[in-house]
Amino acid sequence: MRAQFVTSEILIGLRRNLTMTIAVIITTSVSLALVGSAMLMRSQVGLMKSYWYDKIEVSIFLCNHIVESPNCKGVDVSEAQREQISTDLHNNPAVQKVYYESKQQAWKNFQKQFANSPEIVKNTNPDALPESYRVKLKDPSKFAVVASAVQDEPGVEQVTDIRKTLDPFFKFLNGLRNGIFVIAIVMFIACALLIFNTIRVAAFSRRRETGIMRLVGASNLYIRLPFLLEGALAGSVGAAFACGFLVIAKVSFVDGVLAPSLTFTPFIGWSEVVGTFPWLFLFGILLSTASSFLAIQRHLRV
Amino acid sequence: MEQVVKSYPTSTRPALDSVDVDIEKGEFVFLVGSSGSGKSTFLRLVLKEETPTSGRVHVAGKDLSSLSSWKVPALRRSIGCVFQDFRLLPNKTVFENVAFALEVIGKPQGTIAKVVPEVLDLVGLDGKAQRMPDELSGGEQQRVAVARAFVNRPMILLADEPTGNLDPQTSIGIMKLLDRINRTGTTVVMATHDSAIVDSMRRRVVELSQGKVVRDQSRGVYGYGA
Repeated sequence: MRAQFVTSEILIGLRRNLTMTIAVIITTSVSLALVGSAMLMRSQVGLMKSYWYDKIEVSIFLCNHIVESPNCKGVDVSEAQREQISTDLHNNPAVQKVYYESKQQAWKNFQKQFANSPEIVKNTNPDALPESYRVKLKDPSKFAVVASAVQDEPGVEQVTDIRKTLDPFFKFLNGLRNGIFVIAIVMFIACALLIFNTIRVAAFSRRRETGIMRLVGASNLYIRLPFLLEGALAGSVGAAFACGFLVIAKVSFVDGVLAPSLTFTPFIGWSEVVGTFPWLFLFGILLSTASSFLAIQRHLRV
Repeated sequence: MEQVVKSYPTSTRPALDSVDVDIEKGEFVFLVGSSGSGKSTFLRLVLKEETPTSGRVHVAGKDLSSLSSWKVPALRRSIGCVFQDFRLLPNKTVFENVAFALEVIGKPQGTIAKVVPEVLDLVGLDGKAQRMPDELSGGEQQRVAVARAFVNRPMILLADEPTGNLDPQTSIGIMKLLDRINRTGTTVVMATHDSAIVDSMRRRVVELSQGKVVRDQSRGVYGYGA
């Protein structure tokens, strides 16, 4: 098999069909870019989860005299109650580590958190902030075990799980990701049909050549290979463009817009972006080769 | 070296009905008969473009019905084909048209550069290698087609009405060429209804009518009474 002959056949085929080729490249690149961003979104969610879940997870707020809940009745937590809660937490097998946050510390954190809104800080009474235990779990999913253990102890105002706050956000991101996947699949179908048609037209416009190839005894592979490679080439060019899209998105959107404004959370790095590239090429080449193959089966007599 | 036995029923009447023909290596055979008599089907069966409904086709000692599909290209490499409508590639030069037949079966460039001018010389087209097919006369185009069919030195040359589009004078030139090829030991099977050519060559004639062999003469003529 002579590579030069095959490559020249492929290039002739792609040029002859230029508009179709461009359409194929555009649709493949858009659908692959969607797949790529869905994959990046997945790693972003994973990254944020591990980052946040790694931080303190369960907060046990203790009673404060301004809280009128049935467990507190407007009385500050007593020394004995505080000790009791601490011992219980330390003895709980699901607990890994316990931090104590005093009113003063809570106030400091509060001031830091709202440094940009001096009005809020000015109008807040430091005494109104509750003291709390921050508990890190051995297994983050064991939240309910710890919560139920200390929930009803005297002096406990409220047990909150930081995951409860973050979960809706992650749900939103996951939903967005699934939506992107669905759009990508629809695009993939359009893509496959386009490639199918392109190869069909190519097979038709080259029927004279393939007819002669058949007569003089060219092997099936030799007749089919230019068509398959034509599809594969269009698919990989599309994948290359999709990789370009992702690089641009990372530079301009993630690094340029998200990261400077949302400093509280980490964002995906280049390793995640580059990690999707092989997948995009794999998807692009598989899809285009498979649909070329089907087109050849249907429309190229060997 | 080649024995052909097949019956081949299609819709209403078989295209070839219990045809039993034996063509020896190196023979020159005319296949005559009116349109639809089964000449082309005969040739297509030899190429394994069609498979017989029943019966067997043997080419070069091989039974085509038991030949697996991936060996068909090898079979076709040993058979050259010429058609009434030449089937040249209009965007390639004469040289490229002939070279194409070798390129697509993976022959090295060196062989192509050596063999193609030889065969163009044989068919009398030396000096016209860089012409495009549409710059040539019909006879010259058919010579290109013959060159392409013969460039790989096939054992068998099938010709389906090669003179059908040519004037009598040009046809004689093509026939001389086919005769010369036949003398190199290549079996030539030619389907035609050009009676003048058949009569002048005095070679074996197989006449088909309605898919049946109605005559098989060695040194025959086209019509019955002639």
